[in-house]
Amino acid sequence: MSTNVVDRRRVNGPARSVEPLYTSADTAESFVNGREDKRTLDQVRPIFMKTGPLSAQESELSLSATASAASGSAFYEQGKIRISCAVYGPRQGRKSNARMGSFDCDFRYAPFSCSWKRRSHIKAADEKEISLMLEHAIAPAIRVEAYPKACIDAFVTVIESDGRAATIAAAINCISAALADAGIEMYDSVAACSMGLRGSQWVADCTQSEEDVSSCSVLIAFMPSADEITYILQHGKSTPEQTDQAVQTCTNLCTRVYAVICRYLQSSLV
Amino acid sequence: MSGGIESVTPGRRLGLAEEYEAGSGTYTRNGMIYSSILGTKVVEKAEEPKETDSQSKPTLYVKRSNAKFAIPVIGSEVLCRVVRMNPRAASVAIMMVGSTPCQEDFQGVVRVQDIRATEKDLVQMINSFRPGDIIRAEVISLGDQRSYYLATTKNEHGVIFAQSAAGNTMVPISWEEMQDPKTKDTEKRKCAKTF
Repeated sequence: MSTNVVDRRRVNGPARSVEPLYTSADTAESFVNGREDKRTLDQVRPIFMKTGPLSAQESELSLSATASAASGSAFYEQGKIRISCAVYGPRQGRKSNARMGSFDCDFRYAPFSCSWKRRSHIKAADEKEISLMLEHAIAPAIRVEAYPKACIDAFVTVIESDGRAATIAAAINCISAALADAGIEMYDSVAACSMGLRGSQWVADCTQSEEDVSSCSVLIAFMPSADEITYILQHGKSTPEQTDQAVQTCTNLCTRVYAVICRYLQSSLV
Repeated sequence: MSGGIESVTPGRRLGLAEEYEAGSGTYTRNGMIYSSILGTKVVEKAEEPKETDSQSKPTLYVKRSNAKFAIPVIGSEVLCRVVRMNPRAASVAIMMVGSTPCQEDFQGVVRVQDIRATEKDLVQMINSFRPGDIIRAEVISLGDQRSYYLATTKNEHGVIFAQSAAGNTMVPISWEEMQDPKTKDTEKRKCAKTF
């Protein structure tokens, strides 16, 4: 009997330990010759977006109708990634700074959004972390001094994700489009792009299966008109030269993504 | 007005700050005017050359593509509904700033000393507003954590719409009184000057 007693109060490690499996450089190298979806190494997946699916239409605007509808919204697709974002505000903030407005972001994965596991409806630690990252990436673009004591909220829902870094980048692009749709005063739209290091080669906009075999990922959020990088995120190890190369390529790709966003926004006007 | 229809996105370079005046929906950086919203670029010619030496430049602004949601700033005129009151202050919900509706109500406070410009010490809350009244007021301060501070000291500020105890819309008959046209009862209010 005494042998069956299990210590339930502590986290018991496995009885036997095994060495973790490392991705060796040469197994990763074998993927270099091509990508699953026939893209070139510096090609992002095709982008589709639409603004205004969740916001009130001009004709519906009245004092009572506007309360529930978002002031701006966007739906964004990049390959298999699907993201929706609703922007509310400027509205009365909870935590107020009398001179400046504040930007809050709430990032959620839908329960069915990740193919490898079911997400809980309770906000997970990584969702909180990504929310904060999105706030930091987008906030420098917003003219907060134009909104004293007000608060702008963005609610991002990932409907389908494909590659962690790529999903965050897509979320940033989606928020940018939704903010423009809401008519929030901004210095510039933020465009974002991610890359993964496969062997010794950078691969743009990795899908989940590509990200699984990459040893390092870099995410850049960039304001092309202001020529400012608002956010850099790196996971994994790379040499300074490699990081430098990734930043260069990413900013170039961001400019291309930015052009796509701008072209869509302009066409949405007419 | 001049210039063709050109749709612009935030961050789009519009012109030199030397040549144009930056209007709404734009900002200036390093001597250049940029768009800060999504809309159409409009160049408005200066109306009259001013007598002063400064040459008047045409104004560059971006016309919004979507409805604007206003937020109150110091000095803006607001329309609000009285939500609740106590002898010291009335809480109001700000519904409109200038002529643009707020997307959601902002909370404001009219303190008893900010109701009238004269004889402030004799002003009584209950003789000035009632819950449900619509008042026109001016934002005097961004206020505390929660609310904006408003004042109705100007003649044209005060109650513009009120219902009597019987439920009829009242008409102002003096600066301090409103009358129910049906029952002829009078109630005390801080009336706004009718235009």
